[in-house]
Amino acid sequence: MKRTLITLALAATGFVAAQSVYAQAASSEKPPRAKGIESPGYVWNTPDKDLNRALDYKASAKRGKVAYKICKGCHLPDGTGQADALYPQLAGQHPSVTLKQMMDIRAGRRDNPKMAPFVGDWIVSAEELADIAAHLKSLPPPANNGKGDGKSLAKGKELYEKDCASCHGKNGEGDGKKFYPVVANQHYGYLLRETRESRDQGRRNASPDMVKVLKGYSDADVAAVSDYMSRLSLAKK
Amino acid sequence: MTSLQFGRIAALAFLMTPMAALAGDASKAISLAGNLCASCHGEDGNSLVPNFPKLAGQQAVYLLRELKDYKSGKRESEVMVPLVASLSDEDLANLAAFYASQKAAPGTVTDPALLPVGKALYLKGNAKSGIPTCESCHEEDGSGGGKFPRVAGQNVEYALEQFKLYAAGKRTNGTRVMKTIAERMTEQETRAVAEYMASMR
Repeated sequence: MKRTLITLALAATGFVAAQSVYAQAASSEKPPRAKGIESPGYVWNTPDKDLNRALDYKASAKRGKVAYKICKGCHLPDGTGQADALYPQLAGQHPSVTLKQMMDIRAGRRDNPKMAPFVGDWIVSAEELADIAAHLKSLPPPANNGKGDGKSLAKGKELYEKDCASCHGKNGEGDGKKFYPVVANQHYGYLLRETRESRDQGRRNASPDMVKVLKGYSDADVAAVSDYMSRLSLAKK
Repeated sequence: MTSLQFGRIAALAFLMTPMAALAGDASKAISLAGNLCASCHGEDGNSLVPNFPKLAGQQAVYLLRELKDYKSGKRESEVMVPLVASLSDEDLANLAAFYASQKAAPGTVTDPALLPVGKALYLKGNAKSGIPTCESCHEEDGSGGGKFPRVAGQNVEYALEQFKLYAAGKRTNGTRVMKTIAERMTEQETRAVAEYMASMR
Protein backbone atom coordinates (compact mmCIF):
# COMPACT_ATOMS: atom_id res chain seq x y z
CA MET A 1 0.00 0.00 0.00
CA LYS A 2 2.78 2.37 0.98
CA ARG A 3 4.51 1.61 -2.31
CA THR A 4 1.35 2.39 -4.28
CA LEU A 5 1.05 5.74 -2.54
CA ILE A 6 4.65 6.62 -3.31
CA THR A 7 4.06 5.62 -6.90
CA LEU A 8 1.03 7.84 -7.22
CA ALA A 9 2.69 10.77 -5.48
CA LEU A 10 5.75 10.53 -7.71
CA ALA A 11 3.61 10.08 -10.80
CA ALA A 12 1.76 13.27 -9.96
CA THR A 13 4.99 15.16 -9.27
CA GLY A 14 6.52 14.01 -12.53
CA PHE A 15 3.44 14.98 -14.45
CA VAL A 16 3.24 18.47 -12.96
CA ALA A 17 6.98 19.04 -13.42
CA ALA A 18 6.78 18.03 -17.06
CA GLN A 19 3.73 20.20 -17.69
CA SER A 20 5.39 23.33 -16.33
CA VAL A 21 8.41 22.60 -18.47
CA TYR A 22 6.36 22.54 -21.68
CA ALA A 23 5.10 26.03 -21.06
CA GLN A 24 8.57 27.52 -21.34
CA ALA A 25 9.79 28.81 -24.67
CA ALA A 26 11.93 26.63 -26.91
CA SER A 27 15.58 27.57 -27.19
CA SER A 28 16.82 26.78 -30.65
CA GLU A 29 20.45 26.00 -31.27
CA LYS A 30 21.83 27.83 -34.27
CA PRO A 31 23.39 25.68 -36.96
CA PRO A 32 27.15 26.12 -37.41
CA ARG A 33 28.38 28.73 -39.86
CA ALA A 34 31.83 29.28 -41.35
CA LYS A 35 33.22 31.41 -44.15
CA GLY A 36 32.02 30.54 -47.62
CA ILE A 37 32.02 31.79 -51.16
CA GLU A 38 30.39 35.08 -50.13
CA SER A 39 33.44 35.97 -48.00
CA PRO A 40 36.34 37.97 -49.45
CA GLY A 41 39.46 35.87 -49.97
CA TYR A 42 37.47 32.61 -49.97
CA VAL A 43 39.60 29.64 -51.01
CA TRP A 44 37.83 26.47 -52.04
CA ASN A 45 38.66 23.29 -50.16
CA THR A 46 41.10 24.76 -47.65
CA PRO A 47 42.82 22.13 -45.52
CA ASP A 48 40.54 21.03 -42.71
CA LYS A 49 41.77 19.10 -39.67
CA ASP A 50 38.64 16.99 -39.31
CA LEU A 51 38.50 16.21 -43.03
CA ASN A 52 42.18 15.31 -43.19
CA ARG A 53 41.82 13.02 -40.21
CA ALA A 54 38.99 11.23 -41.96
CA LEU A 55 40.86 11.06 -45.27
CA ASP A 56 44.00 9.65 -43.62
CA TYR A 57 42.05 7.03 -41.73
CA LYS A 58 41.93 3.49 -43.10
CA ALA A 59 38.20 3.34 -43.68
CA SER A 60 36.14 0.16 -43.69
CA ALA A 61 32.99 -0.24 -45.74
CA LYS A 62 31.94 -2.99 -43.36
CA ARG A 63 32.07 -0.72 -40.33
CA GLY A 64 30.52 2.01 -42.41
CA LYS A 65 27.48 -0.13 -43.06
CA VAL A 66 26.82 -0.12 -39.30
CA ALA A 67 27.58 3.59 -38.83
CA TYR A 68 25.35 4.44 -41.82
CA LYS A 69 22.40 3.70 -39.50
CA ILE A 70 21.93 7.37 -38.72
CA CYS A 71 21.80 8.30 -42.43
CA LYS A 72 19.51 5.67 -43.82
CA GLY A 73 16.39 7.22 -42.32
CA CYS A 74 16.54 9.75 -45.19
CA HIS A 75 19.06 8.45 -47.74
CA LEU A 76 17.56 4.95 -47.56
CA PRO A 77 19.35 1.68 -46.84
CA ASP A 78 20.67 1.44 -50.42
CA GLY A 79 21.98 5.02 -50.37
CA THR A 80 19.85 6.14 -53.28
CA GLY A 81 18.12 9.01 -51.49
CA GLN A 82 14.65 10.23 -52.37
CA ALA A 83 14.10 12.07 -55.63
CA ASP A 84 10.97 13.98 -54.60
CA ALA A 85 12.38 14.99 -51.24
CA LEU A 86 15.62 16.30 -52.82
CA TYR A 87 17.65 13.88 -50.72
CA PRO A 88 20.63 13.14 -52.96
CA GLN A 89 21.57 9.65 -54.04
CA LEU A 90 24.96 8.73 -52.58
CA ALA A 91 25.61 5.20 -53.82
CA GLY A 92 28.92 4.94 -55.68
CA GLN A 93 30.01 8.48 -54.83
CA HIS A 94 33.74 9.13 -54.36
CA PRO A 95 34.52 8.84 -50.63
CA SER A 96 36.54 12.07 -50.76
CA VAL A 97 33.48 13.91 -52.06
CA THR A 98 31.07 12.42 -49.54
CA LEU A 99 33.52 13.23 -46.76
CA LYS A 100 34.17 16.78 -47.89
CA GLN A 101 30.46 17.52 -48.11
CA MET A 102 29.72 15.97 -44.72
CA MET A 103 32.58 17.88 -43.13
CA ASP A 104 31.49 21.12 -44.81
CA ILE A 105 27.99 20.70 -43.43
CA ARG A 106 29.40 19.79 -40.04
CA ALA A 107 31.61 22.89 -39.97
CA GLY A 108 29.01 25.25 -41.44
CA ARG A 109 30.75 25.81 -44.76
CA ARG A 110 27.74 24.34 -46.53
CA ASP A 111 24.38 25.30 -45.07
CA ASN A 112 22.11 22.35 -44.51
CA PRO A 113 20.02 22.85 -41.41
CA LYS A 114 18.06 19.71 -42.24
CA MET A 115 21.12 17.50 -42.14
CA ALA A 116 23.48 19.32 -39.76
CA PRO A 117 22.19 17.64 -36.57
CA PHE A 118 22.76 14.20 -38.05
CA VAL A 119 26.38 14.75 -39.02
CA GLY A 120 27.65 16.44 -35.83
CA ASP A 121 30.51 15.08 -33.74
CA TRP A 122 27.98 14.24 -31.01
CA ILE A 123 26.59 11.47 -33.18
CA VAL A 124 29.40 10.42 -35.57
CA SER A 125 33.20 10.62 -35.31
CA ALA A 126 35.44 11.65 -38.21
CA GLU A 127 36.47 7.99 -38.51
CA GLU A 128 32.86 6.83 -38.66
CA LEU A 129 32.20 9.37 -41.42
CA ALA A 130 35.13 7.89 -43.35
CA ASP A 131 33.66 4.41 -42.87
CA ILE A 132 30.26 5.67 -44.04
CA ALA A 133 31.82 7.21 -47.16
CA ALA A 134 33.58 3.89 -47.90
CA HIS A 135 30.31 2.01 -47.46
CA LEU A 136 28.49 4.36 -49.83
CA LYS A 137 31.23 3.97 -52.43
CA SER A 138 30.63 0.21 -52.39
CA LEU A 139 26.91 0.51 -53.24
CA PRO A 140 25.69 0.39 -56.85
CA PRO A 141 24.32 3.67 -58.24
CA PRO A 142 20.63 3.50 -59.18
CA ALA A 143 19.46 3.50 -62.80
CA ASN A 144 15.98 4.72 -61.81
CA ASN A 145 17.10 8.04 -60.36
CA GLY A 146 14.78 11.02 -60.86
CA LYS A 147 14.99 12.57 -64.35
CA GLY A 148 13.85 15.86 -65.86
CA ASP A 149 11.22 16.32 -68.57
CA GLY A 150 13.69 15.39 -71.34
CA LYS A 151 12.74 18.37 -73.51
CA SER A 152 16.11 20.15 -73.61
CA LEU A 153 18.60 17.30 -73.65
CA ALA A 154 20.46 18.55 -76.74
CA LYS A 155 20.99 21.92 -75.08
CA GLY A 156 21.94 20.17 -71.85
CA LYS A 157 24.50 18.01 -73.64
CA GLU A 158 26.03 21.02 -75.35
CA LEU A 159 26.38 22.93 -72.07
CA TYR A 160 27.65 19.92 -70.17
CA GLU A 161 30.34 19.06 -72.70
CA LYS A 162 31.42 22.68 -73.01
CA ASP A 163 31.45 23.64 -69.32
CA CYS A 164 31.21 20.64 -67.02
CA ALA A 165 32.82 17.57 -68.55
CA SER A 166 36.38 18.82 -68.04
CA CYS A 167 35.96 18.38 -64.27
CA HIS A 168 32.94 16.07 -63.80
CA GLY A 169 33.95 13.74 -66.62
CA LYS A 170 32.33 12.93 -69.94
CA ASN A 171 30.14 10.31 -68.27
CA GLY A 172 29.60 12.25 -65.07
CA GLU A 173 32.16 10.15 -63.22
CA GLY A 174 33.77 13.07 -61.34
CA ASP A 175 37.26 12.83 -59.90
CA GLY A 176 37.79 11.58 -56.37
CA LYS A 177 41.34 12.86 -56.15
CA LYS A 178 40.16 16.39 -56.82
CA PHE A 179 36.96 16.16 -54.74
CA TYR A 180 34.82 16.52 -57.89
CA PRO A 181 31.55 14.64 -57.41
CA VAL A 182 30.00 11.95 -59.55
CA VAL A 183 26.97 13.62 -61.11
CA ALA A 184 25.78 10.59 -63.08
CA ASN A 185 22.76 8.74 -61.65
CA GLN A 186 21.94 11.73 -59.43
CA HIS A 187 18.34 12.84 -58.98
CA TYR A 188 17.30 15.65 -61.31
CA GLY A 189 15.61 17.67 -58.58
CA TYR A 190 18.74 17.64 -56.46
CA LEU A 191 21.01 18.53 -59.41
CA LEU A 192 18.67 21.34 -60.37
CA ARG A 193 18.66 22.83 -56.88
CA GLU A 194 22.39 22.50 -56.30
CA THR A 195 23.35 23.86 -59.72
CA ARG A 196 21.04 26.83 -59.22
CA GLU A 197 22.28 27.39 -55.68
CA SER A 198 25.88 27.21 -56.90
CA ARG A 199 25.14 29.82 -59.53
CA ASP A 200 23.44 32.07 -56.99
CA GLN A 201 26.14 31.49 -54.35
CA GLY A 202 23.67 29.84 -51.99
CA ARG A 203 25.81 26.72 -52.02
CA ARG A 204 28.50 28.37 -49.98
CA ASN A 205 31.17 25.70 -50.37
CA ALA A 206 31.01 25.72 -54.18
CA SER A 207 34.17 25.94 -56.23
CA PRO A 208 34.69 29.49 -57.57
CA ASP A 209 35.58 27.92 -60.94
CA MET A 210 32.13 26.39 -61.12
CA VAL A 211 30.41 29.56 -59.98
CA LYS A 212 32.21 31.46 -62.74
CA VAL A 213 31.08 28.93 -65.36
CA LEU A 214 27.48 29.08 -64.17
CA LYS A 215 27.33 32.86 -64.01
CA GLY A 216 25.77 33.31 -67.44
CA TYR A 217 23.34 30.40 -67.09
CA SER A 218 19.62 31.10 -67.33
CA ASP A 219 17.19 29.01 -65.29
CA ALA A 220 16.42 27.12 -68.49
CA ASP A 221 20.13 26.38 -68.97
CA VAL A 222 20.39 25.11 -65.41
CA ALA A 223 17.38 22.85 -65.98
CA ALA A 224 18.74 21.57 -69.30
CA VAL A 225 22.17 20.69 -67.94
CA SER A 226 20.65 19.12 -64.82
CA ASP A 227 18.35 16.96 -66.92
CA TYR A 228 21.30 15.88 -69.07
CA MET A 229 23.40 14.98 -65.98
CA SER A 230 20.52 12.97 -64.50
CA ARG A 231 20.63 10.78 -67.61
CA LEU A 232 24.35 10.06 -67.39
CA SER A 233 24.93 6.63 -65.95
CA LEU A 234 27.83 4.72 -64.50
CA ALA A 235 25.79 1.54 -64.28
CA LYS A 236 27.24 -1.31 -66.34
CA LYS A 237 25.41 -1.58 -69.60
CA MET B 1 14.60 -14.46 -10.18
CA THR B 2 16.56 -17.46 -8.93
CA SER B 3 20.21 -17.54 -7.96
CA LEU B 4 20.77 -19.90 -10.88
CA GLN B 5 19.62 -17.18 -13.25
CA PHE B 6 21.94 -14.68 -11.60
CA GLY B 7 24.75 -17.17 -12.01
CA ARG B 8 24.00 -17.36 -15.70
CA ILE B 9 23.97 -13.61 -16.08
CA ALA B 10 27.24 -13.35 -14.16
CA ALA B 11 28.77 -16.07 -16.36
CA LEU B 12 27.56 -14.29 -19.46
CA ALA B 13 28.94 -11.00 -18.20
CA PHE B 14 32.27 -12.70 -17.60
CA LEU B 15 32.32 -14.13 -21.12
CA MET B 16 31.62 -10.70 -22.55
CA THR B 17 34.50 -9.14 -20.62
CA PRO B 18 34.82 -5.95 -22.69
CA MET B 19 31.13 -5.34 -22.15
CA ALA B 20 31.25 -6.26 -18.47
CA ALA B 21 33.11 -3.16 -17.37
CA LEU B 22 30.47 -1.03 -19.02
CA ALA B 23 27.47 -3.22 -18.34
CA GLY B 24 27.95 -3.67 -14.62
CA ASP B 25 26.67 -6.56 -12.56
CA ALA B 26 22.92 -7.01 -12.66
CA SER B 27 22.86 -9.22 -9.55
CA LYS B 28 24.37 -6.43 -7.42
CA ALA B 29 21.52 -4.08 -8.26
CA ILE B 30 18.60 -6.24 -7.10
CA SER B 31 18.04 -4.70 -3.69
CA LEU B 32 18.80 -1.18 -4.87
CA ALA B 33 16.34 -1.50 -7.74
CA GLY B 34 13.73 -2.97 -5.38
CA ASN B 35 14.13 -0.24 -2.76
CA LEU B 36 14.70 2.80 -4.87
CA CYS B 37 13.25 2.30 -8.36
CA ALA B 38 10.52 -0.34 -8.21
CA SER B 39 7.80 1.91 -6.84
CA CYS B 40 7.75 3.87 -10.09
CA HIS B 41 9.39 1.60 -12.65
CA GLY B 42 7.97 -1.72 -11.40
CA GLU B 43 9.82 -4.62 -9.77
CA ASP B 44 11.16 -5.81 -13.12
CA GLY B 45 11.30 -2.44 -14.86
CA ASN B 46 7.92 -2.84 -16.53
CA SER B 47 6.47 0.37 -15.20
CA LEU B 48 2.70 0.40 -14.96
CA VAL B 49 2.51 4.15 -14.49
CA PRO B 50 1.88 5.61 -17.94
CA ASN B 51 4.15 8.62 -17.62
CA PHE B 52 7.13 6.70 -16.23
CA PRO B 53 9.24 4.82 -18.70
CA LYS B 54 9.52 1.10 -18.92
CA LEU B 55 13.12 0.09 -18.39
CA ALA B 56 12.88 -3.68 -18.83
CA GLY B 57 14.91 -4.86 -21.79
CA GLN B 58 16.22 -1.35 -22.40
CA GLN B 59 19.67 -0.96 -23.94
CA ALA B 60 22.31 -1.02 -21.17
CA VAL B 61 24.46 1.59 -22.88
CA TYR B 62 21.49 3.93 -23.11
CA LEU B 63 20.36 3.30 -19.51
CA LEU B 64 23.82 4.00 -18.17
CA ARG B 65 24.14 7.19 -20.19
CA GLU B 66 20.80 8.45 -18.92
CA LEU B 67 21.61 7.58 -15.31
CA LYS B 68 24.97 9.32 -15.54
CA ASP B 69 23.34 12.33 -17.15
CA TYR B 70 20.82 12.53 -14.31
CA LYS B 71 23.67 12.34 -11.83
CA SER B 72 25.62 15.10 -13.54
CA GLY B 73 22.47 17.13 -14.07
CA LYS B 74 22.86 17.03 -17.83
CA ARG B 75 19.43 15.46 -18.11
CA GLU B 76 17.00 17.42 -16.01
CA SER B 77 14.30 15.79 -13.91
CA GLU B 78 12.90 16.94 -10.60
CA VAL B 79 12.26 13.32 -9.73
CA MET B 80 15.31 11.49 -11.04
CA VAL B 81 18.15 13.91 -10.30
CA PRO B 82 17.79 13.79 -6.48
CA LEU B 83 17.21 10.04 -6.56
CA VAL B 84 20.47 9.16 -8.31
CA ALA B 85 22.56 11.88 -6.64
CA SER B 86 23.87 9.60 -3.91
CA LEU B 87 24.55 6.58 -6.12
CA SER B 88 28.04 5.56 -7.16
CA ASP B 89 29.04 5.03 -10.78
CA GLU B 90 29.17 1.32 -10.00
CA ASP B 91 25.58 1.42 -8.71
CA LEU B 92 24.51 3.09 -11.94
CA ALA B 93 26.27 0.50 -14.08
CA ASN B 94 24.72 -2.30 -12.04
CA LEU B 95 21.25 -0.78 -12.35
CA ALA B 96 21.66 -0.39 -16.10
CA ALA B 97 22.70 -4.03 -16.37
CA PHE B 98 19.81 -5.12 -14.17
CA TYR B 99 17.08 -3.41 -16.19
CA ALA B 100 18.65 -4.35 -19.50
CA SER B 101 18.47 -8.00 -18.45
CA GLN B 102 14.76 -7.92 -17.55
CA LYS B 103 12.10 -9.12 -19.96
CA ALA B 104 10.01 -6.35 -21.49
CA ALA B 105 6.27 -6.86 -21.08
CA PRO B 106 3.97 -5.96 -24.00
CA GLY B 107 3.00 -2.29 -24.13
CA THR B 108 -0.46 -0.77 -23.92
CA VAL B 109 -1.98 0.82 -26.99
CA THR B 110 -4.45 3.53 -26.02
CA ASP B 111 -5.70 4.54 -29.48
CA PRO B 112 -5.50 1.72 -32.03
CA ALA B 113 -6.92 3.97 -34.76
CA LEU B 114 -3.57 5.77 -34.91
CA LEU B 115 -1.51 2.62 -35.50
CA PRO B 116 -1.46 2.64 -39.34
CA VAL B 117 -0.28 6.27 -39.44
CA GLY B 118 2.23 5.56 -36.72
CA LYS B 119 3.58 2.54 -38.53
CA ALA B 120 4.00 4.46 -41.79
CA LEU B 121 5.87 7.25 -40.01
CA TYR B 122 8.02 4.85 -38.04
CA LEU B 123 9.08 2.90 -41.11
CA LYS B 124 9.05 5.59 -43.79
CA GLY B 125 9.33 8.94 -42.04
CA ASN B 126 7.85 12.02 -43.66
CA ALA B 127 10.09 13.33 -46.43
CA LYS B 128 7.92 16.43 -46.87
CA SER B 129 8.69 17.72 -43.41
CA GLY B 130 12.14 16.17 -43.16
CA ILE B 131 11.31 13.47 -40.64
CA PRO B 132 13.65 10.53 -41.08
CA THR B 133 12.43 7.04 -40.38
CA CYS B 134 12.50 5.95 -36.75
CA GLU B 135 13.61 2.46 -37.67
CA SER B 136 16.96 3.68 -38.95
CA CYS B 137 18.20 4.18 -35.37
CA HIS B 138 15.62 2.38 -33.24
CA GLU B 139 15.38 -0.66 -35.55
CA GLU B 140 12.36 -2.08 -37.31
CA ASP B 141 11.31 -4.02 -34.21
CA GLY B 142 11.90 -1.06 -31.87
CA SER B 143 14.70 -2.82 -30.00
CA GLY B 144 17.17 0.05 -30.44
CA GLY B 145 20.88 -0.59 -30.05
CA GLY B 146 23.68 0.86 -27.92
CA LYS B 147 23.05 4.54 -27.36
CA PHE B 148 19.78 4.35 -29.30
CA PRO B 149 17.07 3.30 -26.84
CA ARG B 150 14.59 0.51 -27.16
CA VAL B 151 11.18 2.04 -27.92
CA ALA B 152 9.12 -1.15 -28.37
CA GLY B 153 6.37 -1.45 -25.78
CA GLN B 154 7.18 1.93 -24.24
CA ASN B 155 4.40 3.71 -22.36
CA VAL B 156 2.53 6.11 -24.65
CA GLU B 157 2.37 8.91 -22.09
CA TYR B 158 6.09 8.79 -21.45
CA ALA B 159 6.97 8.74 -25.13
CA LEU B 160 4.67 11.69 -25.82
CA GLU B 161 6.18 13.63 -22.95
CA GLN B 162 9.66 13.06 -24.36
CA PHE B 163 8.60 14.24 -27.82
CA LYS B 164 7.26 17.42 -26.24
CA LEU B 165 10.34 17.96 -24.11
CA TYR B 166 12.62 17.45 -27.09
CA ALA B 167 10.63 19.82 -29.28
CA ALA B 168 10.65 22.46 -26.56
CA GLY B 169 14.39 22.07 -26.02
CA LYS B 170 13.67 20.89 -22.49
CA ARG B 171 15.08 17.45 -22.68
CA THR B 172 18.56 18.51 -21.96
CA ASN B 173 20.67 15.51 -22.92
CA GLY B 174 21.16 13.56 -26.15
CA THR B 175 19.05 16.20 -27.75
CA ARG B 176 20.50 17.28 -31.02
CA VAL B 177 19.12 14.54 -33.21
CA MET B 178 15.81 13.96 -31.46
CA LYS B 179 15.16 17.65 -30.92
CA THR B 180 15.49 18.21 -34.65
CA ILE B 181 13.12 15.40 -35.40
CA ALA B 182 10.57 16.26 -32.71
CA GLU B 183 10.48 19.87 -33.88
CA ARG B 184 9.44 18.71 -37.33
CA MET B 185 6.62 16.49 -36.10
CA THR B 186 3.03 17.53 -35.56
CA GLU B 187 1.42 16.59 -32.27
CA GLN B 188 -0.76 14.09 -34.08
CA GLU B 189 2.33 12.51 -35.62
CA THR B 190 3.97 12.13 -32.23
CA ARG B 191 0.80 10.50 -30.91
CA ALA B 192 0.64 8.08 -33.82
CA VAL B 193 4.31 7.10 -33.45
CA ALA B 194 3.99 6.72 -29.68
CA GLU B 195 1.02 4.37 -30.16
CA TYR B 196 2.87 2.35 -32.75
CA MET B 197 5.94 2.05 -30.52
CA ALA B 198 3.71 0.83 -27.67
CA SER B 199 2.29 -1.82 -30.00
CA MET B 200 5.69 -3.28 -30.90
CA ARG B 201 6.99 -6.31 -29.06
